[in-house]
Amino acid sequence: MFLLSALGIAAAQQPVVLVVTADAPDYVLAAGGTIAGMAATGAAVHLVRVTNDEKDSWKLSPEETIRRATEESLAAAKILGVRDVHALGYRGYDLGGVSFTEIRDRLIFLIRHYKPTVMFIPNPYTEFDRVVDRFYTGRAAEDAWRAAALENYQPPYADAGMRPHLTPELYYYAQPHDPYRREPESTATFVPQPKFVDIAAQLDRKIRAAQAFSTSNENMARRLAERLASTGRTLPLLATVNDGSIAKLVEENVRGLAAVNAKETPHRAAEEFRYAGVEFRIPRKYRSAR
Amino acid sequence: MRPILLFLLLALPVASADGKLPLKPLPKGKVAMVIQPHHDDHTTDYGMGGLIARFVDEGYDVYYVRASNDEKDGPHGYPRNDMVNYREAVAAAKVLGMKKVISLNWRNDYMNPIPLNELRNQIILLIRKYKPDVVIGHNPWEHYQKNPDHRNVGRAMAEAWWMAGLDNVLPEHKLLGMEPHQAWYLYGKARLDWGLGQRPNIAVELNAEQVRRKQTAYETHRNVYANPASARAYKAALARENLHVPEWENIDDQTAAVMMEEWHMDWISRQRGAQAGVRYAEDYYFLDEFDYLPGLQDYLAREVKRR
Repeated sequence: MFLLSALGIAAAQQPVVLVVTADAPDYVLAAGGTIAGMAATGAAVHLVRVTNDEKDSWKLSPEETIRRATEESLAAAKILGVRDVHALGYRGYDLGGVSFTEIRDRLIFLIRHYKPTVMFIPNPYTEFDRVVDRFYTGRAAEDAWRAAALENYQPPYADAGMRPHLTPELYYYAQPHDPYRREPESTATFVPQPKFVDIAAQLDRKIRAAQAFSTSNENMARRLAERLASTGRTLPLLATVNDGSIAKLVEENVRGLAAVNAKETPHRAAEEFRYAGVEFRIPRKYRSAR
Repeated sequence: MRPILLFLLLALPVASADGKLPLKPLPKGKVAMVIQPHHDDHTTDYGMGGLIARFVDEGYDVYYVRASNDEKDGPHGYPRNDMVNYREAVAAAKVLGMKKVISLNWRNDYMNPIPLNELRNQIILLIRKYKPDVVIGHNPWEHYQKNPDHRNVGRAMAEAWWMAGLDNVLPEHKLLGMEPHQAWYLYGKARLDWGLGQRPNIAVELNAEQVRRKQTAYETHRNVYANPASARAYKAALARENLHVPEWENIDDQTAAVMMEEWHMDWISRQRGAQAGVRYAEDYYFLDEFDYLPGLQDYLAREVKRR
């Protein structure tokens, strides 16, 4: 117990969850069910939205896209039980031009402020995901998780009363783009391992949260319909693209993701992560019951 | 079952049930764009001259974007290397049947600290101008890639190939009449002599003529390959082991060097072919048009109809 206390881990407190997302819908599609489940059992969930999503729309100006994405992000968060959303406001899909340490240090601030017991971050080691914002955000968030616990990072934060904080549980999330995502790391300790979470009870909530992103969902649907039409194909659902057909397409997407993640597991609907918890960072022989 | 065994069983295979790498026909389209940092990257042994030749043979217009100036590759010093390598890149592209070489002229092997969005935006403009259906380049997720130019051009390409299709990306391009255009297919190659660069998911079959053009295009880069010095170096190394190559007796070093490169290209094309059960091939990591929507793969496969 001494070791847990020394690491700043309070064993019995209600979980505090900090979710970092690059673009607003990312965390919903990859981890929304798990997060909703934690919120439903009393966890205080806070969301950090790194980009402003300005490019993810169909024929809308960046300004209008930002306005809508902000509203929709708040609506989706509410559906999942997220308490508050902090927007860092970086331009969407342009994170390659932003200082890594700047993003990291802003995340350190929020980690030290909220003192989470659980963090969700984009998995920067996921391959074949073309949205590179997720890579940049994941790299910065991973380093923020580490550096937030160290005294010598950001002395001004300490001067402002924020102490170093180690978050004991870390979930790396991603949509299942990477065919090698389930391969184990070289050792079962001290590194993130595959973890599967049953989200059947939260699936409807996840679908509704994903549907809240009307602006980016319309972009996805219209782009898909346009591509199919230009190549002599059609998707009957999108014969007419309207709110109803878009919502149905999003539902199919979320159900499809849950099914892919549940393959070869005991679950009907799942989310999968690379997970680094206490059990991976502290060898069993050093852990003791309360 | 122990978790580690369970996870091993869950690892998703890419090869087909018979262990062969699946042969993938080329997608339907008209234009392919090869986006690489260097003068010779479109012809190297681990990619992609055979694929380019096949795209040309199947009616594609293929363009080559060379991002760096290649000033360090060769024996002549910076400015002359740049000129010689460019000339040879154009000649090699012609051998393969490509339409044009477009040089961005970023400084060779100094691409790590360059503004990545600036490079990406250059590529987006070219994608909108030439409207490729297919983009070919270094796998941006490649492992053990030591060369900073390969890494950064791959990453810029990874964003550009689809972001070029978004309205709110560089809207000023519309002033030139260039509309958003997305490439839908990506072929990624990796340098395998530095480690497990990638695990390919497809093979592309080549015929003997395509392999021959791949060989010739590669040899065209005499500034760095297939030159007499390379043959002399190999002969000296073999001589130290009391070995020699009978086919090299009574021929000059230049001819020997070309012969050596042709053997290598033939050998590696056969190796890749054997992976797929054919005579000659190259292998790639291929991203298909809707791979970015992993949750909709099964649904689209089931519901999309031909008109």
